[in-house]
Amino acid sequence: MLDHPALLTIAINEWLDIAQLPTFFAAVIAILTVLYTTFHRKGRESFKIREIAGLKAVEEAIGRATEMARPILFTPGWGGDIQRPTTIAALNILSSVAEKTAEYNSQLLFPTHDPVIMSVAQEVIAESYSRAGYPERFNIDDTTYVSPSQFGYAAAVEGMITRLKPASVFLLGTFEAESLILAETGNIAGSIQIAGTDSTIQLAFFIVACDYTLIGEELFAASGYLSKDKSIMASIRAQDIMKVIIATVIILAIISTFVVPLSDWWKF
Amino acid sequence: MNSRQSRHLAFAGLFIVVTVTMLLNISIVATVSNETKQMFDYLDGLPERSNIIVSFDHEASSLPEMKPLGLVILRHLFAKDHNLIGVALLAEGTGVGYRLMQETAKEYNKEYGRDYVFLGFKPQFIAAILSMGESIGGTFPEDYLGNTTSEIELLSDIHNYDDVAAVVSLADGSLTTHWIEYGNEKYGVQVSAAVAASMLTTYDPYISSGQLKAMVGGLRGAAEYENLLGIGGSGARSMLAQSSAHLYIILLIIIGNVTYFRSRKKG
Amino acid sequence: MARLFPQIICGFFGVVLFVLYFLKAPSAKSLYLTITSDYWQIIFAFALLVGVASFIRVNIKKLSKLSESPYVITGLLGLFAMPVMALLWGIKGDSPFMWVFENVQVPLQATVFALLAFFVASASLRGFKARSLPATILLVSALIALLSRSDIFGWFGNSALEFSEWVRSYPSMSARRGILIGIGLGSVTTSLRVILGIERTWLGKDR
Repeated sequence: MLDHPALLTIAINEWLDIAQLPTFFAAVIAILTVLYTTFHRKGRESFKIREIAGLKAVEEAIGRATEMARPILFTPGWGGDIQRPTTIAALNILSSVAEKTAEYNSQLLFPTHDPVIMSVAQEVIAESYSRAGYPERFNIDDTTYVSPSQFGYAAAVEGMITRLKPASVFLLGTFEAESLILAETGNIAGSIQIAGTDSTIQLAFFIVACDYTLIGEELFAASGYLSKDKSIMASIRAQDIMKVIIATVIILAIISTFVVPLSDWWKF
Repeated sequence: MNSRQSRHLAFAGLFIVVTVTMLLNISIVATVSNETKQMFDYLDGLPERSNIIVSFDHEASSLPEMKPLGLVILRHLFAKDHNLIGVALLAEGTGVGYRLMQETAKEYNKEYGRDYVFLGFKPQFIAAILSMGESIGGTFPEDYLGNTTSEIELLSDIHNYDDVAAVVSLADGSLTTHWIEYGNEKYGVQVSAAVAASMLTTYDPYISSGQLKAMVGGLRGAAEYENLLGIGGSGARSMLAQSSAHLYIILLIIIGNVTYFRSRKKG
Repeated sequence: MARLFPQIICGFFGVVLFVLYFLKAPSAKSLYLTITSDYWQIIFAFALLVGVASFIRVNIKKLSKLSESPYVITGLLGLFAMPVMALLWGIKGDSPFMWVFENVQVPLQATVFALLAFFVASASLRGFKARSLPATILLVSALIALLSRSDIFGWFGNSALEFSEWVRSYPSMSARRGILIGIGLGSVTTSLRVILGIERTWLGKDR
């Protein structure tokens, strides 16, 4: 007859995906770190985020559009959908940008390839206009669904940039091969361009063709940077703590391969 | 010359270079890179009549680059008598994928339903990859032609990734990443890829970590693979145009730098 | 309440999916797939209707503008003609739908994609300058990488290819890994902020 520990082992083997345990522990560490920095008093202690040139330029980009009486174009790229954290990060920046465009009374165009992103963006922009005190300035038709196809979307946005010549273009989100087409079109139209993406390959194109580029995680730090919200700033601190943990594991793995060449504990 | 004129001149030059070299119709025998050799060896080393999923994860726009890659991979797999299961995770890959499989199968006298099958398109790629890990028949109750999958001979012994030796993702974007993150990480299926040249460096970290078994990329990759297979193809024919365009870009970079240094000298 | 209810749903499904991911019991797997596959497709189908309605509304409003009307008419024509063709003759084999797809959509999309080559040319002419030592190193590496992909009659031999593979395998990859780790951590914290309700921008925040 099986005793209790044996039954427990069988139950665990049947229910838990043991192969995913390292991922599970890493996720638990991440959750605990975010909870600590967000809800513990010490974790929430104020700290400074280094200046990010691209985000400092947001106000300048919107002011320029007002002076030139031209619109602002913000697009989250073709590669993402609403499940993607990068899209959420881009919508956070959109919220701050929309609040300012409402104050300055500039037109904010938001073309997208995804109907879910379109619906969420309409809500985000409408709320930002309300928060700024100008709900009547919000025009739902400026946030449009253009095409789900990559180059259909690229052609539509390119056409908008060419015809409307926006003073400022924000290319923030997940971009694929359309990145350089949009960035170069914006450059030709003479727009100030602020870009940021999690697609490492497209960063190179943005750096060449845009005025400011947010590299990788800067995009995620942006909402905290722009809103100065303490809870969001706390999660940026969590990111730094996790970075230290990962760097420590890498260093330990390097040392252990030198000391015990056959060791492979880090290959989980 | 102002910037608008110089830009137009650069565009016109590129158009002429590509058009002229395409019209010459000269094939280039490309030196084989380690990367392509690794992909060739990997697919070549799979046991005969392995079940392989070929996923058409690209749009119609990249066909000039993806078609030579797709063709050469399919030719290799059919030549090795593997059982091929075609799927498309982007809607536009559906028609293209079916045509490619059908045309290549004819070259090797392969029979639909016995040697290969095309299951068609499934929306929401992450969900599709996860779902196939549980049940391929459940994810695709019917194939592209409307046949019930449970009645297809080839699929009678293929239930999920446990019965699949490899997945080859033909991708012009980042879709292969999802095969790695969900197909390989969660279900352990081996993933390899044939990708657009611009995406090659995106997948480098996955190659070195072993999560991606091998990859081949771009027209050059297609030409190298054709070379290894000992067949001619559109990869080798397009190489002259691509190579000339690269040299033209190098020339533009040099002109841009000479102009820059001259203007700096003038202050 | 209009904000609280979606937040509760979001938090609940976030936690449930997290737990289900690590379970391998058939019932857990089936629930995981139902949520990630079926639920999402239902949501997307309804959102697509909203998107198409928005597309039609915006374009009909633009019809009166003479400068925009050719584009608007083409867009609307495509939107209505393709489903009609699919319904009447199907989408397989030699159907009119496939004919339009292969002879109109494929060349149009390939044309827009090909624009990339022209923009690479103009960006190279304008942006790739040896302004400093790091920029010069980048420039030289880029030139060699380009040469390595341009094997004209074996002019450049294996050395350019080997150098290019080395650059991709070491300096470039280590930089990319650093960026990827940052992106991964950013994704994790953003997701957690959304699930825990710290981040509510996607809901339009509080009125």
